[in-house]
Amino acid sequence: MDLNYSDEQLLLKESAERFLKDRYDFEKRNKIIASKTGFDAGFWSEMADLGWLALPFAEENGGLGGSAVEISLIMEAIGRALMVEPYLTSIILAGGLVEKLGSEEQKAEILGGLIDGTSRPALAHMERQTGFDLGNITATATKSADGYAISGEKPLVPGGPFADIFLVSAKLDGSVKLFVVPADAAGLTRTEVRLVDDSRASDLVLDNVSVPASALLDAAADTLFEIEAAYDRANAALASEAVGIMDALMDATVAYTKERVQFGKPLAAFQALQHRMAEMAVKCQEARGSALLATLSVDAPRAMRIRGVSGARAKIGKVSRSVAQEAIQLHGAMGFSEEMPIGAWFRRLYAIENTFGTTADHLKRYGEIIRDPAMLSGSLLREPV
Amino acid sequence: MDLLMTEEEVRFRNEVRTFLDAHLDEELKRAERLNPSFLADPAVGLKWQAKLNDKGWVAPSWPKQYGGTGWTLAERYIFDQECERAGEPHFRGASIKMIAPVIMRYGNEAQKSFYLPRILNGKDVWAQGYSEPGSGSDLASLKTRAVLEGDHYVVNGSKIWSTLAHHATRMFALVRTADTGKKQEGITFILIDLKSPGVTIRPIRSICGTHEFNQVFFDDVKVPVSDRIGDEGEGWDIAKYLLEFERGGAFAGGVLRAMLARLHRLASEQLPDGRKMIDDPLFMARFAEIATGVDANDMLELSAMSKVQAGGNPGSVPSSTMKIERSRIRQSIAELAASILGPDALRFEEHRPLHELPEEAEIDEERKVASAVYFNSRSQSIFGGSNEIQLEIIAKTLLR
Repeated sequence: MDLNYSDEQLLLKESAERFLKDRYDFEKRNKIIASKTGFDAGFWSEMADLGWLALPFAEENGGLGGSAVEISLIMEAIGRALMVEPYLTSIILAGGLVEKLGSEEQKAEILGGLIDGTSRPALAHMERQTGFDLGNITATATKSADGYAISGEKPLVPGGPFADIFLVSAKLDGSVKLFVVPADAAGLTRTEVRLVDDSRASDLVLDNVSVPASALLDAAADTLFEIEAAYDRANAALASEAVGIMDALMDATVAYTKERVQFGKPLAAFQALQHRMAEMAVKCQEARGSALLATLSVDAPRAMRIRGVSGARAKIGKVSRSVAQEAIQLHGAMGFSEEMPIGAWFRRLYAIENTFGTTADHLKRYGEIIRDPAMLSGSLLREPV
Repeated sequence: MDLLMTEEEVRFRNEVRTFLDAHLDEELKRAERLNPSFLADPAVGLKWQAKLNDKGWVAPSWPKQYGGTGWTLAERYIFDQECERAGEPHFRGASIKMIAPVIMRYGNEAQKSFYLPRILNGKDVWAQGYSEPGSGSDLASLKTRAVLEGDHYVVNGSKIWSTLAHHATRMFALVRTADTGKKQEGITFILIDLKSPGVTIRPIRSICGTHEFNQVFFDDVKVPVSDRIGDEGEGWDIAKYLLEFERGGAFAGGVLRAMLARLHRLASEQLPDGRKMIDDPLFMARFAEIATGVDANDMLELSAMSKVQAGGNPGSVPSSTMKIERSRIRQSIAELAASILGPDALRFEEHRPLHELPEEAEIDEERKVASAVYFNSRSQSIFGGSNEIQLEIIAKTLLR
């Protein structure tokens, strides 16, 4: 057992923070979200140059073989910077699924473009009724003469407006499968939606969209199992993003209350406010512990993975909400304005609470796992494999 | 970075399990289950301590040269987790975890060779003499006075909240030896034989119905100078060193998880109307929320341990966070357990210790003790530096 970051990991953390601070400040972000596309293509290729887009993929697939720990460090920095580009959804979620489910040809083609920054696939799986019951989809695929025809609705596909291809899930003979669908396929309607955190998504409607037989991603035995695992990786990454935001809120609140003078002294000199900030710090620490468990659980057996990931989403949902609310309160009216990043962090945390399962969904999912007394009472230390 | 045990650590864990299966008997486990307090009933604790002493495992945190185990931090962690899971009586209080590290660090050779073995074999049981009626969180304002007369001090004053002092043979105490300079500078650390003439002990029953606390009065009590630890005026530094052990030095993840498992069992019992609390969504939401807190605390403990293992320091914010959150988690588990008793919550068994009463089904005994456990849990956020003091420590670090 060792929970210390390696020197290389600390270096990555530092360079990620510095890069985003230099190249993606709040002003720049505001320009991006106000732009027509809501996306900075130049910045995306800078990330490609840094190797971020290659980070999680295995070396034989052209990646850098980074672990969930490296991803978590990038995600913390992304959280603080409030980056709206679809790193999580294209790289972790869609890219991760292609790596698990794609044939050698599919991997070479899709991951190649993803890693060099020219392609941004997006996962279109969840539907209105899905919640976090991931098997509950109604889109269907039927076999045609030379491939498949897909119909269904996929609302709120994250990263949808920037995608050139979609990984669309549909039921084929009753079981969930994933298909590669070009964004310009006939019968596919894409409508842009602006989200609460200033990022953008797409509502997709597929009306008898024809894809060739080679569009089926079917290299693993159980597509639904892999989809669930991919959402767990994404949720662990979201947990780390939230931790980055919480730390940023904490730092901003401390700096502001030290500077803001009322009644002849800085706000930070009032004990009533000091204790509230100390309580925020307690919650930041707890969130960090939870996110680390999620990070170290993504490759564990399913029950252990859910315990780590959904436990973190549940815990962090609760404490991050409180930290964000307190940050606004302690900033007074300034925290209520869009001129400071406080509100943007607050809204991103709110979005995270409602992305890939809500806080309540994850609490329930975690609760089902720890009903097993062995899971509940066992140590977090694991036996060597 | 990983959570993996080594093969060696797995073997160690299995050895600990085998030992606990063989030696931690039902009688001891039942007594601890029926103990609402932080520390075991002394008779029970001493019995378990003797068994561990035979094995050489009484003091996992001590270096080998003083009769400790010489285990790595990871082994100590595993040992703690296994002991808690098995339901061991908690006896490692003031003696093993508090005064012993102080004697090792600040004591002279004579003090080490006399006192340390007596702690291991249970001859001495120590009580803490820090708080006074007028000095709680503001500990440095303490007034109990020691005046040097030849080769001994004459002590007058009073200490309060001394846990189990009525069973203890000795007390380590902070006393005032000077009034000049800063109030912290006039404090000295001494060891008092509680059998000395002039010592009077007044019991204080706590809200859980147990006599565990005491007020101890000193009326011209003679303490040999040879029972002073460190120099005159060094007491405050020593006290701070000791508090580190009381606050962050120990693991609590094991006991929190064990409490959660007991609550799980209680909630899995069928109620008179046929329901089980564990099927109640409101209960489960609360239960699961608490469990996420236990997981988070475990990760903070393991992170702190990793830092120490690498030669670093966990830092004051994580340490105070753990102190605060452990207390809150214990309190919320105890509160939730008590909240599912229904009308049985109104029954209150006054006899202490509860394990002397005729044996009943385990689940009925869990119900019998749950209210008292809840009442007792309120002390968690007060002792060892109250949560408000911890918030002060965090705020100081944040805002400096």
